[in-house]
Amino acid sequence: MKPILAVLLLLTLPAIVRADSQWVLEKSTLTYHVSHPLHEADGVSHEARGKGVCQAGQCNFLIAAPVKSFNSGDSNRDLHMIEVVRGAEFPMVVVRTELPEAEIKAGPIHADLEVQFAGQTAHYKQVLFQLTMQGGDISLTGTIPATVSDFKIDPPKLLMIPIKNEIPVRVEMSWQREK
Amino acid sequence: MNPKAAKFLPVLMFVVLWLAYSPCAQAQVASATISGKVTNSSGTAVASATVSVKNVATGEAIEARTDSAGSYAVKNLVPGDYEVSASAPGFASKTGKVAVTQSATQTLDFSLAASSNAAAPSLSELGFPSSETKANPQEQARLDKRSHMLQMHQRLGLITTVPLVATVITGALAGGKSTSSTDRDLHAALGSATAGLYFASAYYAIFAPKIPGTKTEGNIRLHKAMAWIHGPGMILTPILGEMAFSQKSQGEKVHGIAQYHSDVAIITAAAYGVAILSVTLKSGSASRSAHRVAAALGLGHSHSADTIVEDDSSANR
Repeated sequence: MKPILAVLLLLTLPAIVRADSQWVLEKSTLTYHVSHPLHEADGVSHEARGKGVCQAGQCNFLIAAPVKSFNSGDSNRDLHMIEVVRGAEFPMVVVRTELPEAEIKAGPIHADLEVQFAGQTAHYKQVLFQLTMQGGDISLTGTIPATVSDFKIDPPKLLMIPIKNEIPVRVEMSWQREK
Repeated sequence: MNPKAAKFLPVLMFVVLWLAYSPCAQAQVASATISGKVTNSSGTAVASATVSVKNVATGEAIEARTDSAGSYAVKNLVPGDYEVSASAPGFASKTGKVAVTQSATQTLDFSLAASSNAAAPSLSELGFPSSETKANPQEQARLDKRSHMLQMHQRLGLITTVPLVATVITGALAGGKSTSSTDRDLHAALGSATAGLYFASAYYAIFAPKIPGTKTEGNIRLHKAMAWIHGPGMILTPILGEMAFSQKSQGEKVHGIAQYHSDVAIITAAAYGVAILSVTLKSGSASRSAHRVAAALGLGHSHSADTIVEDDSSANR
């Protein structure tokens, strides 16, 4: 009897270890930064939604936010931004990444990101994020080094001077684990 | 047939056949097109999907991307057999084969199924309403027109500052005790040019498409508020100027309502300057400039200035 139980335990152990889990984005703040000699502006969105699915030790994350949800405090600037990034034709900014489940722990983590925005797809390798654990939940902060040229966007101009190519996106997210 | 001519017949036939079937002749006929649409299993268009068109004979491949309607078209293909693949993130790729003939258009549509990798979530699982995820080309066209018109408004508005400043400067010479009409004529001409450019700029601002559901906030509020001062001012100033011009031309001293021409002109120009600064400088700078101009004009600490300050504080949070 005991050998049979031992065999059964050995057979079920991998399944216990590799139990599927899901993550849900609880709250988020995405902030893009635009620089111009006469202006600095930040556009903020709190309307991102995300989901992560972990299976066989590997986790796939998907985060998306409506382009229109970014608010810089100036409606004229926001409308112009939506026009320039073709936000009515491509209304969502979507980020995908894949991480080993074992790396989801407190501390620095490097992630390869695929970002879909303005009808283009850009890949960012080894983007640094800081993870902090709060019970079973995680908080994540980091900056995606996006540029205007990555997405083939025609840079807006003020007084004939274009904005800077760099438009870093600061990411602050809280994820809750679901089983 | 002439025996001499008959000797050349085989040669002539060879030349004709060579021209018809030579690679040079065939390579000129790259006029075929493969087009189609990429959708998901629900029939929704898949934008930015990658479509690869590969010539089976030569191995040459061309890549295209679907537009917001999920459509693609690869043109200028030589006749032959092609292998066409469609792929997009989150979907399993699909491949099809098609043969195209000269100048023909072949249609090949793809319906992509969600990726068999069950661990990858899809956009539809996030619960966004369809109104937020669906492309709206009509709204994009409206935004494009709005941006174009506001760019024209900006350019004309900036150009207007040149004759406006010149008009204000020559205004000092146009009045006074001088009986010369040259200075007055120059001032009047510059004033007319200023008014013409101003109203051209105003046209683009007024008739730029409005975007429904947009709440006006930020420095654009100050910019629009100033229009209620420089707009009527730009109408009243030339009227009073014409009256003053007529009185001076008749050798009279400017009197009556016409004597307020320069005051109205100064206020109009100042409001115009604040309007430009409000959309040029950073939030705090624009509000401080507005306060200084208001104080200089003796307008005091008005309710509208308080509102502007509150907007400035929220913008800087």
